[in-house]
Amino acid sequence: MSEVLLASLRLSVDLAGRTVLDGVALTVSAGEVVAVVGANGAGKTTLLRACAGLLPEATGDLTLGGVDPRQTAPEKLARLRAYAPQHPTSAWDYTLAELGTLAASAAEFRHWQERFGLHELTARKLSELSGGERKVAHLSLTFSALGDAYGKVLLLDEPTTALDLCRAELVARAIRASAQAGAAVLVATHDLAWARTCERVLVLSEGRLVSAGPPSTALTAELVRATWGVA
Amino acid sequence: MKCHAGTLALAALLLALLALVALACGSAGFGWGTNGELLMLRLPRVLAALAAGLALGLGGANQQGVFRNPLADPGLTGVFGGALLGIALLLAGATEFTWNHRWALPTAAFAGALATSAVLVWLGRGRSTSKLLLTGLGLNAFTAAGTLLIAARFPEARDILINGAAGDWLGTATLELAWLPILGCVLAALLLLTQAAALDRLALGEDMAFCLGSDVAQTRRQGVLLTALAAAAAICLVGQVAFIGLLAPHLARALVGPRHRAMLPLAGLLGAGLLLLADTLGRSLWPQTPISAAAMTALLGAPAFVWIASRRHE
Repeated sequence: MSEVLLASLRLSVDLAGRTVLDGVALTVSAGEVVAVVGANGAGKTTLLRACAGLLPEATGDLTLGGVDPRQTAPEKLARLRAYAPQHPTSAWDYTLAELGTLAASAAEFRHWQERFGLHELTARKLSELSGGERKVAHLSLTFSALGDAYGKVLLLDEPTTALDLCRAELVARAIRASAQAGAAVLVATHDLAWARTCERVLVLSEGRLVSAGPPSTALTAELVRATWGVA
Repeated sequence: MKCHAGTLALAALLLALLALVALACGSAGFGWGTNGELLMLRLPRVLAALAAGLALGLGGANQQGVFRNPLADPGLTGVFGGALLGIALLLAGATEFTWNHRWALPTAAFAGALATSAVLVWLGRGRSTSKLLLTGLGLNAFTAAGTLLIAARFPEARDILINGAAGDWLGTATLELAWLPILGCVLAALLLLTQAAALDRLALGEDMAFCLGSDVAQTRRQGVLLTALAAAAAICLVGQVAFIGLLAPHLARALVGPRHRAMLPLAGLLGAGLLLLADTLGRSLWPQTPISAAAMTALLGAPAFVWIASRRHE
């Protein structure tokens, strides 16, 4: 049994008087890729943000790399986990090369930039990239922030949304490679086919965990029908 | 990543040349005087314009970075108005005291700027940046009205406040009066330069900045505090002047890109250059009827700003 890097118990979040996350328990171990699925508004993004330490108001137990992310200095936390938001933005129109300088290691950023097929676009500004290219540019930043993946937690919010087949496959491989290098990976996704390739799946519905486990038992046809209302 | 040291050096050189020309221009004719007496006469004014412009350029760049909005400017978001209102309140309450203590005016300006910034952040929390700017415009109008009200009610403070609101204080600069605010400008500028890395990360949004290791609340706090210091020190020298804090960062971004490590120092240099140029033109073009630095800045700055805004891709 490998080391548990991310664990929560009774994790709940109230936003503006509404319970968005209700008593979620999860564990993610080193080397594991765990998919979080659920309809829009089920609480996937809130779960990832809470795990990343972005919601100090979250209640319940939460441990990431041995610390409580709600009570850890951002600088220390940045060495334990990396996070990619669903909709990355930039207030200023950086070039890809300039974006790379925001990473902990510029060499690491170049590595991921090449891996995601952006190596010829270094001089381009973010505004001159397509939506998918921009998305993987920001993902390069997240993966390079992870640095050496061993013992780290990777939190990705819909990393393959807006990507073409080829780039989605590149990102899927990068996720797998990070897990093999010893990271614990938690990914919110709408891609149920990809979720079935993960070690485990968590199904959220209205903020509650309704199913968890290996895809074969946790993501059954009945559950898909009950959660999404489709066959 | 290109090295922008050359651009910065060139900007510094041009600024030095401009300062020499500014020292030679004036109603007494071109030149520094036979024994440099004209030079000594104009030196405080030139130094004051340089320091205030430096602080305004960097203050504007920081406010744009913190609010993640290219239209933020301490002159438009009410921070300047607050600083001037602070001065007005002090003059209304204790004229004697003000002139006997040279730290009193800058302190009142700082308190006013800080209070307005705090109200701005408090009213604008959790809202879109455009709403934040609208809040700022409201604050600006409110503080301006407050200053005018005091100017109307207290005749002894009237002239000085009207001149301050018109950005026409540079002409009154003496080294004795100006050294403290000049020091404040330089200090604020140096401290603002240290924010570069945090502002770069903040560009990606608060979530991403936090996840890359930034203490976002601290970046914001320091930004508000330092911008208020810069605005307060600058306003003690010039009075209310808009557009420098808006224009200098824009030009800097166009020249060296948006990364703050190169953009911040250049915005400071450009701010200093713009304000000095505006003041020098204002007092040299028509020596008998000089135009205030603020009016000249707006005359030059507003069309340039419209031009830049029309070129923006969003």
